[in-house]
Amino acid sequence: MSPAALLRRFGPLLGLLALCAVLGTLSDHFLTFDNLINVFRQSAVNALLSLGQLVVIITAGIDLSVGSILGLSCVLVALLLKAGVPPALAVLAALGIGGALGSVNGLLLTKLHLPHPFIPTLGMMNVARGLALVICGGFPISELPSSFRFWGAGSVGWIPAPVIVVVVFCVVFHVFLTRTTVGRDIYAIGGNPQAALLSGVPVDARLILVYALSGVTAAAGAIVLAGRMNSGFPLAGMGSELDSIAAVIIGGASFFGGVGTVGGTLVGALIMGVLRNGLNLMNVSAYWQTVVIGVVIVAAVWVDVVRKRAAEKGRAAVN
Amino acid sequence: MGTRKHWWMAMALGAAVLAAGACSRGAKSRKLEIVLVTKALDSEFWQRIKSGAEEAARADPGVSLAVLAPAQEINIDQQVSILEDQILKRVSALAVSPAGVAEIVPVLDKARAAGIPVVIVDTDVRWPYQTSFVGIDNRLGGRIAGEYILKAIGGKGKVAVIRGVLGVATQEDRLTGFREAIANSPGVELVAVQPANSERALGMQVMENMLTSHPDVKAVFGTNDQMALGAKEALEAHHLTGKIVLVGFDATREALRAIQAGAMNAVMAQYPERIGKRAIEEAIKAARGLPVEKRIDIGTALVTKDNVSQFLK
Repeated sequence: MSPAALLRRFGPLLGLLALCAVLGTLSDHFLTFDNLINVFRQSAVNALLSLGQLVVIITAGIDLSVGSILGLSCVLVALLLKAGVPPALAVLAALGIGGALGSVNGLLLTKLHLPHPFIPTLGMMNVARGLALVICGGFPISELPSSFRFWGAGSVGWIPAPVIVVVVFCVVFHVFLTRTTVGRDIYAIGGNPQAALLSGVPVDARLILVYALSGVTAAAGAIVLAGRMNSGFPLAGMGSELDSIAAVIIGGASFFGGVGTVGGTLVGALIMGVLRNGLNLMNVSAYWQTVVIGVVIVAAVWVDVVRKRAAEKGRAAVN
Repeated sequence: MGTRKHWWMAMALGAAVLAAGACSRGAKSRKLEIVLVTKALDSEFWQRIKSGAEEAARADPGVSLAVLAPAQEINIDQQVSILEDQILKRVSALAVSPAGVAEIVPVLDKARAAGIPVVIVDTDVRWPYQTSFVGIDNRLGGRIAGEYILKAIGGKGKVAVIRGVLGVATQEDRLTGFREAIANSPGVELVAVQPANSERALGMQVMENMLTSHPDVKAVFGTNDQMALGAKEALEAHHLTGKIVLVGFDATREALRAIQAGAMNAVMAQYPERIGKRAIEEAIKAARGLPVEKRIDIGTALVTKDNVSQFLK
């Protein structure tokens, strides 16, 4: 691989490592085993949401509803558990509900011909959040069974259970996107929907699937968060749609579609988690954290733009 | 050309992070590290809690204090992350005002496992291991507000409540107290209890809607000042100032001035500086292994036009 290609491939990862080095020199607590485990645990929910968001963004779409679907799934799974549904069943039901809500986004987009994914997912963002509040009257539903809490608060040896969930989802999504026809269709739709349609890709069906997947990862995030907080709370995931979009973009995906990897997205989520954690350890206020993350989003995309322009110039010189 | 720019980028970013770190990195010594984590810092109430806390820390040269909070009161999971990170640092003691009373419990358990004493501030939680609770009796405050309204409207008519985030103990307690106060007055009807998330803009909107749905409402209780001040704006816009009894909770400067000007009728006073100060004093005691009081009621008082001047000093 040429140096330019290497940089493109591993740019976000290099950024993450550099960031860790800087934070390690600034805080004695940062590069400790306990803290790194801590960062992984704190990044798990955003990583899960970002995987779904990645698949959507690859199709040149956007899913604003992931935070709200997380909130609604969080309340519903807690209600199911309180009603005595066995934890394993409640988890499956929550994933199903998330998938169903997501596929509604896809159906609205493709069957009602709403002009841009922004619209159906903005609608769903409000509907799902509202329903979450209505269903539980605004109250958190707490004290969940410990076998359910495992997914958010438990661990296997020293590996936190949420990290295992993230790894499993990453592997599945990576294989799905790179090794299956459907996955390649999704990239094709993002690259050029017209061409994809003409070459026989069932675009509508793929888009519905994409938004359903995003709903499923949101529900997975809900299961982890509810376990972590021992509570199904209606405000869960408030604003997290923007964090997931940020992680995907920092991870090198393009808003124009057709570009983006699972590895990059995971690194993007970790960069955000590491930044927040490092700044927390240094007692930097949440307001400054917001500023820094904003700067990082713009900087990450700008690096990408600079790289592309340099590559284009290189090509022009050769021709 | 590209690589050079990358270096600039990396350096700028590094400098920003370094600067941010340098601002906040206090002297490293064997000082007691006390950390206060509030629900937010975006209102006068929390800022005054913070200044009281800082006063307590200044009084003790052996103590370094950090005050942290999520960006908004609704960012419960961000508050949990902040606490986890402080627990990891093995700080000497924590003072916490929980953004979510149920959601906070697992992370409090982690503090306990790490042997860090926890003082609960302002909003009580059902967690038996708290070192101390410092705050006010919100139910009593709600009841006093209700009794005042009862008297102001002559014991009959429609009343309404604009309340903060559902499920938060302080808010529930104020409402419970208010309901108790009006329970024995059959002439009084509670026509609406609408949430406005303790925000001013939402408070105004909710008040406007109430004026449409219940034009004959005689009194409104805003369970914090931001919402009451929002309601005040709505009343002013509809030229109803003084015609509808309006009561707030917290006694922020702005609300006190509104009472002085006759735009609001009353407010339940909290003494946030005292709450913050006392919380940190107890946290310091706990960190030193000294005995602490389990429950500290800072007290509340009714402020009306008659006594507002002494609160505005």
